[in-house]
Amino acid sequence: MNWRHRNLIDLDDWTREELNLFLEQANYMEELLNRPIKKVPALRGKLIVNFFFEPSTRTRVSFELAEKMLSADVVNWSSSGSSVSKGETLRDTAWTLEAMGADAVVMRYGAVGAADYLVRKLKKASVFNAGDGTHGHPTQALLDLHSAWKKRGDLEGARMAIVGDVLHSRVARSNIKAFSKMGVKVVLSGPRTLMPVDMVALGAEYDPDPRSAVGDADMLYLLRIQKERQEQGLIPSLDEYHKRYGADNELVGSAKKDVLVMHPGPINRRVEIASEVADGEKSIILKQVRSGVAVRMALLYLCLGGVRN
Amino acid sequence: MILIKGSTLFDGEKLQEAPLDVLIEDKKVVKIGPSIEAESAEIIDASGKVLCPGFIDIHVHVREPGYEWREDLESCSRAALAGGYTTVVAMPNTDPPVDSAPLVDFVARKGVALSGARVLPAGCVTRDRKGQFMAELGKMTDAGAVFFTDDGSPVATSQILKTALYYTRDLGVRIMEHPEETSLTSGGQVNEGLASSVSGLKGVPASAEYIDVVRGIALSRDTGSPIHFTHVSTALAIEAIRAAKREGLPVTCDVTAHHLSLDENHVLVSKFDSVYKVNPPLRSKGDVKALWSAVADGTVDAFITDHAPWHMDEKDLPFQEAPFGIASLECSVAVIMDTWLKLGSPVPLERILQLFTSSPASLLPDSWKGLGRIREGSMADLTLIDMEEAKMVDLELWESKGRNCPWRGEILTGWPVMSIREGMIFRKEI
Amino acid sequence: MPQEKALVMTQQDMFRILKRITIEIVERNKGLDDVVLLGIQRRGVHLAKRLKELFREIEGVDVPTGELDITLYRDDIPTLLEQPVVHSTSIPVDIAGKKLVLVDDVLYTGRTIRAALDALMDMGRPANVQLVILVDRGHRELPIQADYVGKNVPTSRYEMVEVSVSELDGEDKVIITERKEV
Repeated sequence: MNWRHRNLIDLDDWTREELNLFLEQANYMEELLNRPIKKVPALRGKLIVNFFFEPSTRTRVSFELAEKMLSADVVNWSSSGSSVSKGETLRDTAWTLEAMGADAVVMRYGAVGAADYLVRKLKKASVFNAGDGTHGHPTQALLDLHSAWKKRGDLEGARMAIVGDVLHSRVARSNIKAFSKMGVKVVLSGPRTLMPVDMVALGAEYDPDPRSAVGDADMLYLLRIQKERQEQGLIPSLDEYHKRYGADNELVGSAKKDVLVMHPGPINRRVEIASEVADGEKSIILKQVRSGVAVRMALLYLCLGGVRN
Repeated sequence: MILIKGSTLFDGEKLQEAPLDVLIEDKKVVKIGPSIEAESAEIIDASGKVLCPGFIDIHVHVREPGYEWREDLESCSRAALAGGYTTVVAMPNTDPPVDSAPLVDFVARKGVALSGARVLPAGCVTRDRKGQFMAELGKMTDAGAVFFTDDGSPVATSQILKTALYYTRDLGVRIMEHPEETSLTSGGQVNEGLASSVSGLKGVPASAEYIDVVRGIALSRDTGSPIHFTHVSTALAIEAIRAAKREGLPVTCDVTAHHLSLDENHVLVSKFDSVYKVNPPLRSKGDVKALWSAVADGTVDAFITDHAPWHMDEKDLPFQEAPFGIASLECSVAVIMDTWLKLGSPVPLERILQLFTSSPASLLPDSWKGLGRIREGSMADLTLIDMEEAKMVDLELWESKGRNCPWRGEILTGWPVMSIREGMIFRKEI
Repeated sequence: MPQEKALVMTQQDMFRILKRITIEIVERNKGLDDVVLLGIQRRGVHLAKRLKELFREIEGVDVPTGELDITLYRDDIPTLLEQPVVHSTSIPVDIAGKKLVLVDDVLYTGRTIRAALDALMDMGRPANVQLVILVDRGHRELPIQADYVGKNVPTSRYEMVEVSVSELDGEDKVIITERKEV
């Protein structure tokens, strides 16, 4: 199959076939993490700029590891102390980077549409979306898919419950797309004030009762609840959220016995997840992190590997 | 003297069946008839085209005073004329806002001496558009204001709106209300519905427009004063206006070309091109359908552009960061004609043409009510339309300084090809 | 379908050749101590498995056999039209001090073997590396040679050598075809 993607903004136009191929590639990349020398020359000579305008350690480090393991040259550019904070536009900064010879930009930017915008502005360099506001976080979805697939194999017909602040979650949006494409039925739960108005358009159902949403689920995905939501008046308190929707052993008990408990991290203990679950044996939260490097390696290799265009 | 021969004449009310000639002398239409002879006249062959009263756009952002890098009176005037309009009304949300007689006078004087369409001033309802104190509406009327509006925002409180409605009841100048309940819309960027759910951007609910329209209707009922709602975009609001008209209340409204031709899907399909970011936002397909029904049944009184030019440095940003607004003076007529044709002409052409001419004219103060009609003795403001012409929207040729236009590069059918203002040919492409 | 120009190896030929190579390996290494077979993806992997089977039959020894994917070490990707996909790498033992026998189907420019050697260098320090090749078609661009050659088949640059193995392609044979236009 001819890999046709040069950028990754979101997973809307990935086919199921492409996702399957991708997951296998990620698996083979994972083998590299076991070698004594974790480096291959596949992206030697390529310059990748990590453009992070929102704070993020885990995603940026994960990308950086993947880039370095593929022998790419890496430059990290974060917002504090960057030209953008001095008033240079995103467009001018991007053009400057391209003029310097960047082959790819990995960007996290706090505005919906920023990654699509960058693709329109750049002539040559590839763009990888590490999060554009509340819209999408496709590499998170890919690594979530990979970790679930590694454990479960074919996900056709499986059931996934996503509980939390879906309204503000780019992770939820991308995950609904990714898992639906693989044949998973996705059910959302959480307070209505933290849900988008049209969930069917997103490709998921809604159940206001978390217990029944989680019932018989093969995967339980928990989203962070940020304190700001309480400050914005969308929920009365984090404690009330935890009492009604927090994942404790009782809630997890409604799911299938071998349910996979997932979370994009970092976790808020005693808000969306109880420690007994976060540290429990059903949690694959740390495996998700490990998948992250392999998945990003597969992505960079396939999109940037250098075939003649 | 100018003799326009053989056009299909639209006189403001009706489309005439047989081709007619129109003779213009000095600033007036002096004769209309089946075949006029005039030896010393400049002859224009308008066969196959529709000759209309000069089009009127009652809602345009001119950006002068204060934001002249985006547009100014002169460039706006030329852009309007290129778009087929001979009269436009300038919104007062400038810097300083046009909230006093001297500022109204500034726009009024400059506005009739420009090299394109005439620009008529609107004044703010409240001082500094702050929504606290009523501005000197009487003095502004004398200086030439044709509407009062705090556009950009609704009138801040019901109390002020009610007072202003009472006050303007006998001034002959209407209040144009920008219908928005701002506590519901604050931070909103796209339609609340499909666009907000998929993008994660905060949604602007249809009910926010509806609530303000209902408020305005109630106050119009209380005061007996006319109220005009501008850029109505939702089925909910348009239905409320329909009911108010049925009740006999002096309620009127206009809709934009973009709300008649685009919907929230365009935001998504374009991959968040900020050129589709506008307030009120592009709505659902159902809302677009409801607007066209309202055009058909007389609920809508005028088409507007809500021309909102921005410098590209300001507008060319990621969607969430960009300002709201579409610049469209020079293609708006074609957008409406083209959409109308593509929908299979759901409304008689006559009705469409009324909403560009006599209908908006009827909303202006008495001194301007003569606009929007062609009859012997009327002021010679004329627009000639070629309903068959298909042409690409080419921003390189635009007079406007704004380039934030979603139809750039598109081929549209139905263009203005000649504009005459006060008996002078300002622009001719035939 | 590219034009088949010549059949240079039949199923029976292949079987006899692999058997002969098995014996050569045993002879040259004076037995099979510390020998590790490593097939290069993709067809080399299957050939290596066959050698492993033959070692068991003929010598009664179970030789550790692994797979090596060299895609991430290739230097020719900019000349290709399709991004090559990665396959598995799996080596069952530590290669330090071992006699690594690389197995591949066709030896041509030598670049694939160069990539394999680079990969192996990053994985450890074998005692030596030997190379089994089913078909050597000439036109070397690097100073690489095989220790065990199935058959020498002179070709022109306009031709391609296609190896089929029953595990992947349904039959065992080697043919020469006219090169597809690039």
